[in-house]
Amino acid sequence: MRSSISNFKKRLRLPRLFFRKPSREEQIHGGPPLEFERPIPPAPWRGIAVAVTIVVIAATTLWELYCRSLGYGPTRNDNEDFWTLRRRIVEPESIVIIGDSRAWFDVDLDEFQKGLGKRPIQLAMAGSTAFPALSDLANDKNFHGTIICSVVPNLFFAPPGTPPMERAEKGVKRFHNQTPAQRVSEYLSMPLEEHVVFLKPDDLSLEAILNKLPIPNRPGALVPPRFPPYFQTEDRERRARMWEKCAEPGSELAKKVQQIWIPLFTPPAPPSYIPKDIFFAQINEGMQKRFTDVTAAVEKLRSRGGKIVFVRFPYSGGLKELEDRITPREKTWDPLLKMTGAPGIYYSDFPELSEFNCPEWSHLSAGDSVEFSKRLVPHLRDALNM
Amino acid sequence: MLFNSLTFVVFFVVVVTIYWSIRSWQARKNLLVVASYIFYGAWNPPFAALLFGTTAMDFWLGRQMSKARDQHARRRWLIASVCMNLSMLGFFKYGNFLLENFQWLLARVGIIYQPPHLDILLPVGISFYTFHSLSYTLDIYRGVLRPTKSLRDFILAVSFFPQLVAGPIVRAGDFLPQLLHPPRLKNGQFLWGLALMTLGLFQKIVLADTLLSGSADRVFGYPGPLVALDSWAGVLAFAGQIFFDFAGYSLCAIGAALTLGFHLKDNFRFPYAAIGFSDFWRRWHISLSTFLRDYLYIPLGGNQVVPFRAALNLVIVMFLGGLWHGAAWTFVIWGLLHGSYLVIERIFRVSLEHQPWASTLPVRVLAGFATYAAVCVAWVFFRASDFTIASRMLGGMFGQHPHGDAILSTRELLQIGSVTAGVIGMHWAMRDNTFETAVMRLPPWTIAAIGSAMICAIILTQGSSNAFIYFQF
Repeated sequence: MRSSISNFKKRLRLPRLFFRKPSREEQIHGGPPLEFERPIPPAPWRGIAVAVTIVVIAATTLWELYCRSLGYGPTRNDNEDFWTLRRRIVEPESIVIIGDSRAWFDVDLDEFQKGLGKRPIQLAMAGSTAFPALSDLANDKNFHGTIICSVVPNLFFAPPGTPPMERAEKGVKRFHNQTPAQRVSEYLSMPLEEHVVFLKPDDLSLEAILNKLPIPNRPGALVPPRFPPYFQTEDRERRARMWEKCAEPGSELAKKVQQIWIPLFTPPAPPSYIPKDIFFAQINEGMQKRFTDVTAAVEKLRSRGGKIVFVRFPYSGGLKELEDRITPREKTWDPLLKMTGAPGIYYSDFPELSEFNCPEWSHLSAGDSVEFSKRLVPHLRDALNM
Repeated sequence: MLFNSLTFVVFFVVVVTIYWSIRSWQARKNLLVVASYIFYGAWNPPFAALLFGTTAMDFWLGRQMSKARDQHARRRWLIASVCMNLSMLGFFKYGNFLLENFQWLLARVGIIYQPPHLDILLPVGISFYTFHSLSYTLDIYRGVLRPTKSLRDFILAVSFFPQLVAGPIVRAGDFLPQLLHPPRLKNGQFLWGLALMTLGLFQKIVLADTLLSGSADRVFGYPGPLVALDSWAGVLAFAGQIFFDFAGYSLCAIGAALTLGFHLKDNFRFPYAAIGFSDFWRRWHISLSTFLRDYLYIPLGGNQVVPFRAALNLVIVMFLGGLWHGAAWTFVIWGLLHGSYLVIERIFRVSLEHQPWASTLPVRVLAGFATYAAVCVAWVFFRASDFTIASRMLGGMFGQHPHGDAILSTRELLQIGSVTAGVIGMHWAMRDNTFETAVMRLPPWTIAAIGSAMICAIILTQGSSNAFIYFQF
């Protein structure tokens, strides 16, 4: 019996003795003899392995200690698998929080549980729009609970294909398609992230470190704005808390984050390949479509007895000026409530909710989020007829 | 289960530990079968049944073929096996593609037909395990392999987890003999296997995912025209990404197999130092190119026919090779481009073979860079999801959009430039070499330093479990 490799070698006319004859035992399969064995480079492999192990452990320990010395603490990292983990525990009558990072930072689950009688499930996601999660819950025939939906117009009306939309869709898609292997990986990463400080892909990974290099870009290059550095921790329930270092009044970190929000929230210039008027018409069209889609989702949810309340969480400083200018209430919040017919709570309509200051202009400190949640609860109860 | 995931780390440690602590060879093989099905089922458990069905069917067909008394009967069993395997592949991979093209054809003759969109989920690695399995019946038909009596051994040959979902395409004839005796680990084999896995993971996680994939994705995903620098940078980034991604997977597979005592052949041999396209295909995805050579090109007549027919054979093989990668016309064009490259090269070779200057170093280097550039142009069709993107990219690369947008940061351009220069330099330095001989020449402390640096970089990268590109095929 000859293998294809044997044929090939025969064609090369190598001497017959080059190959050993297959033993009788090997012919049980009828296959060719084992003509191929990978060479193993001769080296003191055990010594090398010991040296590598020592160096890697030492380097990792030093890196961990260095990160701790900078003030970093262990925390869970948010990603679509963690989101999926929480999405899975949604029951038919759950209270679910969806939307952007303001709902993620500013809601204290303990206070909501005390005030609403049920522990809410945190499904808000930083830098994302609420629509994919809203639509997913509206299409979930088992779900007829309550949704508390945060609205930051820039994110809420983000068109398809933009990062806020893609981020949210990734979570929903993972919930529906998560493989057993991904699920196991998520469980395995939990204890690691809760003990090892340098496991922060957004801030301490190789990519994030390279991103921070101060290399100037070409003039006119359409490079995406940078994301803020690490300034929050997250627990097993996906409750985010602002890092104390950021919450300190006038802290350097808070100032740094503030300056990142401005380019992030500033609408990008129209791309060169679409005429400006068409571009703005498309943006407007996209926004109208989002109104329609959200209305349809809300109706679907209500038809099963579900409830929804929209919430505008506090924001301040330069970011407030920018947001109010580019996404005025009359063009975003008011029509949203009108079209959906859903109740809404705009923080600035209520003096007791307007007394808070956001250290980095967009989110409340961990301490303030508890007090804010306590004061928000009665309004939620009113809006939801609880 | 991805090699670059925590689940795999735990899975691998458990499997290797149990494997080497069991004495019975039969029990070890049983363990590998169970482990391989867990590895595969961790994506989508029902598809493990499909994998078993295909394997069992080919096992039975192989036996029937060997029992057949005449050539006609053998051929019938072979046709049954080929039809079974290809129809499975056709349904899952090409079902919607065929329907859409059928609809387009009918529309050309004025018939409006709206086919239902089949919501078919593509089983991971179906193109690979179909070829693993098919090689068995093909080799039995060719008379170079006698069917195995053990269904368990054949199941293991097809589903052996290191090579199951993204290759290398290991032929049953190369693997089954290794199941006869319990393997004996040579001195250093286990640790060398781990070293290859580390190198593979470094290529995938650090080089492909961290340094290149983001830029390639942004360039190919940008909806407008780009200036030449960004277009070329995007294509070079993808050229590097796909090499490190796939070669990295292959190295992980070879390394994992070595730790279990099995030997898989190289799948890549420094392809970006290829001089000419036939040389490229002797270095890139070797297991696929040799599969196509032995089971398609040679049966078609290879180059032992009139020149026109030989050229046509090349084009047919590369056309099917392109289609194997994905159900889209862009993949077909990629394959046809490579087919044309091979034909043109053959014409040149015939006319320049006896020219002394043709084999001088400057000409060889120039030919090498021309090969790399042409391969990069073909990658545009491989990566672009449609022809609009492909033509826009080519337009950008060849200077048709001087006022297009620039979207890559200086950091990204530097990353792409340095990784591309590094990979080309490394491939040229190693083009007539192997990893093993290169490592042999290094002092132990250098090996330890390189290994430590790679592991530290992998840890620092904190991989986000991006799937390997070739999983989709």
